[in-house]
Amino acid sequence: MEKKSRRSFVKALGVSIGAAGVVGGSSILNSCTQVASTNSDTITLLTSSGELMKVDKSQLKPADLPSLSENQKRGREGLPGRKFVMVIDLSKCRNARQCMKACQNHHQLRPEQHHINVLQMQDAENTAPYYMPKPCQHCDNPPCTKVCPVNATFKREDGIVLIDNERCIGCRFCIAACPYSARVFNWFEPRDAEKYEGVTYNIEANVPQKKGTISKCLFSADRLRDGKLPSCVSACPNGVYWFGDQNEDAVTNGTTHETTSFSKLIKDNAAYTLMEELGTKPRVYYLPPKDRAFPFQGEIDQHHS
Amino acid sequence: MKKQIILTLVIALMSVFQGLAQEWLVPDDQKTLTNPSEYNLSNVKKGKDLYMKNCKSCHGDPGKHNGLPLVPAPPDVVSEKMQNNTDGELHYKITKGRGGMPQFEITISDDDRWRLINFIRNFDPSREQLLVDAPPKKAKLLASVNEVEKKVEIFAEVEDANGSFVTLTDAAVKISAKKAFGNLPIGEVLTNADGRAEYKIPETLIGDENGMVNIVVQLDEAYITDNVVLDAAKVGQLKPQPKLIKKEILWSTNENIQTWLLLSYLGAVGAAWAAIAYVVFQIFKIWRLGKE
Amino acid sequence: MDKVKSPEESRKLLDKITFDLTRSIVKRDEFTNFWYFLLIIFALVGLWGWGIQIRDGLGVTGMRDYVSWGMYIANFVFFVAVSLIGFLISSALHLLKIKWSKVISRVAEQVAIAAVALAGIIIVTDMGRPDRFLNVFLHGRFASPIIWDVTVVTTYLTISVLLYYLPLIPDLALLRDKGTDDIPQWKRNIYRILALGWKGHAEQYKLIAHAMRILMILIIPVGLSIHTVTSWLFAATLRSGWDTTIFGPYFVAGAFVAGVAAVIIVMFLYRTRYGLKDYFEDYHFNMMGKLFVLVCLVYLYFNINEFLVPGYKMKTAESIHLSNLFTGKYSTMFWATQFFGLLLPITLMVNKYFRKPVPITIISVFVLIASWFKRYIIVIPTLEHPFLPVQNVPENFQHYAPTSIEIMITVFSFMAALLIITVLAKMFPVITIWEYAEEKGISREIISEPKK
Repeated sequence: MEKKSRRSFVKALGVSIGAAGVVGGSSILNSCTQVASTNSDTITLLTSSGELMKVDKSQLKPADLPSLSENQKRGREGLPGRKFVMVIDLSKCRNARQCMKACQNHHQLRPEQHHINVLQMQDAENTAPYYMPKPCQHCDNPPCTKVCPVNATFKREDGIVLIDNERCIGCRFCIAACPYSARVFNWFEPRDAEKYEGVTYNIEANVPQKKGTISKCLFSADRLRDGKLPSCVSACPNGVYWFGDQNEDAVTNGTTHETTSFSKLIKDNAAYTLMEELGTKPRVYYLPPKDRAFPFQGEIDQHHS
Repeated sequence: MKKQIILTLVIALMSVFQGLAQEWLVPDDQKTLTNPSEYNLSNVKKGKDLYMKNCKSCHGDPGKHNGLPLVPAPPDVVSEKMQNNTDGELHYKITKGRGGMPQFEITISDDDRWRLINFIRNFDPSREQLLVDAPPKKAKLLASVNEVEKKVEIFAEVEDANGSFVTLTDAAVKISAKKAFGNLPIGEVLTNADGRAEYKIPETLIGDENGMVNIVVQLDEAYITDNVVLDAAKVGQLKPQPKLIKKEILWSTNENIQTWLLLSYLGAVGAAWAAIAYVVFQIFKIWRLGKE
Repeated sequence: MDKVKSPEESRKLLDKITFDLTRSIVKRDEFTNFWYFLLIIFALVGLWGWGIQIRDGLGVTGMRDYVSWGMYIANFVFFVAVSLIGFLISSALHLLKIKWSKVISRVAEQVAIAAVALAGIIIVTDMGRPDRFLNVFLHGRFASPIIWDVTVVTTYLTISVLLYYLPLIPDLALLRDKGTDDIPQWKRNIYRILALGWKGHAEQYKLIAHAMRILMILIIPVGLSIHTVTSWLFAATLRSGWDTTIFGPYFVAGAFVAGVAAVIIVMFLYRTRYGLKDYFEDYHFNMMGKLFVLVCLVYLYFNINEFLVPGYKMKTAESIHLSNLFTGKYSTMFWATQFFGLLLPITLMVNKYFRKPVPITIISVFVLIASWFKRYIIVIPTLEHPFLPVQNVPENFQHYAPTSIEIMITVFSFMAALLIITVLAKMFPVITIWEYAEEKGISREIISEPKK
C-alpha cells in the first residue's frame, strides 16, 4: 500500500524545472511526463519535445496533472474568453522546417505525419513560387466536426478544433471532409509507442497518440493552457508566425516576441485566408508572400490542383 | 578492407569540405566594392534605425551578444566575425542572404543597405565611433494607473554621478499592455522637468472581460531598470467575447444540434420502427391465430 | 390467374410445384459440398486477413493520409447498391401491380439481405478502431451522415428480413405439412418453429397481406434513403468529383443497374442448378432484360449529367479530376466501366435475342463487375487529388493501390454474401410456393390442407 502511494505521488510530479537549456525558444522543458522511475534520486522524464532526460527528483515540484476524465472535460471546454488566431507571414518563410520538427516532437508524430506541413506552392503558371506552412485552419465553420459520427472531434469556444483519441472510431470521414488535408491518421502503432506507455492521455496534445485514430494540429492547446505559444510558433527561427487572442486583438511573434495589433497586422498586409470560397472561415490568416526575405529554392511539383 | 578505409577517408574528407562550405564565399568582384555612402553621423543614425527594424531581432543589441540562439549563430555587430568582412562582403551578404539570413535585396534599398554598413562600421575598432551610446545608467521608475481619468502617472529618477537619485527629465517611457503572449506597445511619453509624465490611455484599448488591463511601463535601453508591471486596472474596454458556438449549429456536438434536424431524424426513425413494430405485432397475431 | 382446377388436378399440380421448388433444399451432392468448402475457405482466409489488420493497424492496407478511403468503402458502396434491388422488385413493381416480378421477389430479397448484411460488416472492417464500434450508439452524433447511414442500413436490413420472412410463413407451413421425407428432419423442425402454427385461416392470409403492404410502402423511403445517405458520405464533402448535388439519384440509378444484374445472375444459377426452367421462364428473363435497359438508360442519363456539366466548365480542381478519369491514370478503368456497365447492356439488350437467359446472364456478369469498378472509380481518384499539394510524404501516400490484405477481405465479403444466399437457397424455397400455386389456380384450402 505504502509502495503504491509513493508511486502515485511520483506520477503526479511534472513540470517546472528551473532554468532548463533553451534552443530557439522551442524545447523548454515543459509539461514533461515521467516515464520511469529509478532507484536513485533521479527519474526519467519525457519532455514535450520528445526527448528522454534524467532529472534529479529534488528539482521537481508537484504539478497539476489532472486525471483522464478531468482532462477530457476541461479539454472540451477550452480556455475561457479566448479566441485563438494565427497569422502566417509567407514573406518570412524559408522552409527551415523547425516548426515541423518541433511539432512532430511535441505530438509524437512519425516522420511522415504532419500537423503542420511546409508546402511549396505556386498559384498560377507564371506567378512566383513560395513556401506555405499549413497547419489545421481551425475553421469557424469546420467541415470535419460536421461529419464526425461520435462527437470525437469538436470545436471549442476558444476556436480550437480538437480531437478526443479515446473516443474516435477511426472512420476517417473527417479526413475526407477536410479540404486542407490537415488531418493525419495513425495507420500503425504511433512513433515511440513503448516510450509513451503508461503516460496519461492528454486530449489537448493528442499524446500519447492512439493507433487507429485521427490526429491533427491543435494549436498546442496544452501549451496555451500554460500561457505558452504553440510549439511551431516558438520554434520558428524566421519570425513567420504570429499567434494570439483575437478577442483582445493582439498577436505575438514567436521568434521576436514582439506583440502587435492583430487587426492592424492583417489589414496593413492584406491578409487572406486559405480557400475562403469554401466558406470554412479559417482562424489562420496568411500574409501574402510579397517582398520575400528568402529566395524560393524548392522545386515546384504539379501534383495538385 | 582497403575499400573500407578509402570509404572512411572519403567520408571524413567530405565532412571537412562540408565544414569549409559553411564559409560564406562572396564573389571577388563583390568583395572589393567600396561603400558609396559617406561615413557620417547622419548616415550612421539612419543605419541604426534600419538595424533596429530589420536586424536586431536576430543579431541582438550591439555589444550585448544577445542574438537569437540559431545555428549558425547570427554574430553580434561588434564581433570580429562581423567586422572582419569587407564592406563589399557585408553588402553582398545583406543583399543576398543565405540560410537563416534573409535577403534584403527587395525590402531595403541599395542606399540604405550601404547606410546599414556604415552603422556596422560604427563599431569597427579601427574607425572613429560617430554614434556613441552613453553607458546605461541606473534608474528608478514608479508608475500608477488612475482608473478614473484613465491615465498612467509616471515618475522617474536616475542615479547621478554621486550615486544619489535625481529626477529624470526628457526620458522616453514606453507604455504597453499585457496580452496573452506578450506586451502590446500602446504609446510613449517623455518625462517633464519634474521627472513626471502622464499618459492618457487610448479609449480603444481592450482589456479582459471586465475591462481590466495590466499596464507595463519601461524606460528605453539607456537606463537600467526593472519594467514596472502594474496591477490590473479597469482602464480598457470590455473584451468582446462573441459567441462562437451558437445554440443550434450544425458543426457542433449533440448539445448544440439543431432542433429541426433532431426532430426530423427522430421522427423518421421513430415512424419507420413503429411501422416495423406494427408488422411484428401482425406476425404475433398470426401466431396467436395459429394456436386457436 | 388460370382457370379453377378440380381438387385432384390441383393436388397433383401442387405436389409437382412443391417437389420442384424443394429440390434446392433436398439436393446435396458433391458439388454442394465443394461449393460450401470453397466459400468457407475463402471466407476464413478473409477473416484471417482481418485479424492481421486488427493486430497491425489499418496501415496494412494501401490507404494513407490522403487516399484515406479505399477498396473497403468502394466495396461497401457496391454492396449497398446491390441491396437496393430488394426495394425495386419486391416493393415498387408489386405496388405497380406488375405480375411477372412476383416469382423473382424472393430472389431479390435474398440478394438484398446478403448485400446489406455484408455492407454492414464491410464498414466495420474499414474502421480504425472496430473495438469502439459501440461508440456509434453510445455517442452517436445525430448530424453525421454516418449515423444516418448506420440507421438506414439497420432499418433496411430489418425490413428486408421481414419482407423475406412474411411470405415465407405459408410456405414453411406447407413444407411442414407436406414436406417429403427427403428433407432432413432438422430443417423440418426449423420450419415448424418458424411457421408459427400457420393454419391457412383467411384471417391469417389477411394479416400477411396487410403486413406486406405496410412493409412495401415503408421500404420505399427507407430504400431510397439507404443509397442516398450513402451518396452523402461523399457529397457532404467539399472535394471535387464528390461535391455534386445529383449524387443521391445518381447512386440510386446506379444501384438498380447493379442489383438487376445480380438478380439475373442468381436467377440463372437457380434455373440451371435446381432445374427451375418452368419457373424462371425465358419470359421472366425477357422482362428483366427490359427492366435492365430501362434502369441503364436512367443511369446513363445521370452519368451524362455527372460528367458533362463539370466538363463543360472545367473548374480547376474538377478539370484535374476529369482529365484523370478521361485520359489519365484511371482512363482505362473509367471507359471500361462506362462501356461494359452501360453502353454494352443498352445496345445489346434492346435486341430480343440478348434478353434470352444465357446472353443476358453473360451481360449481367460484365455489368456487375463494371459496377464494382465504377464504385472504385467514384471513391479513389477524387481522394488522390486534394486541393492542396501532397508533399513531404513518402511516395505511397500519393497513390493508392490495394494491398493483398484488402483484396483478401474484399474477397471474403463476396464469399460471405454468396454463402448467405446459398444457405437461404438451401434452407428455404427460392420461389414463394403458395403465391405461385395460387397463380396457377390452386385454391388456398388445398394449399393449406394437411398431408394425406
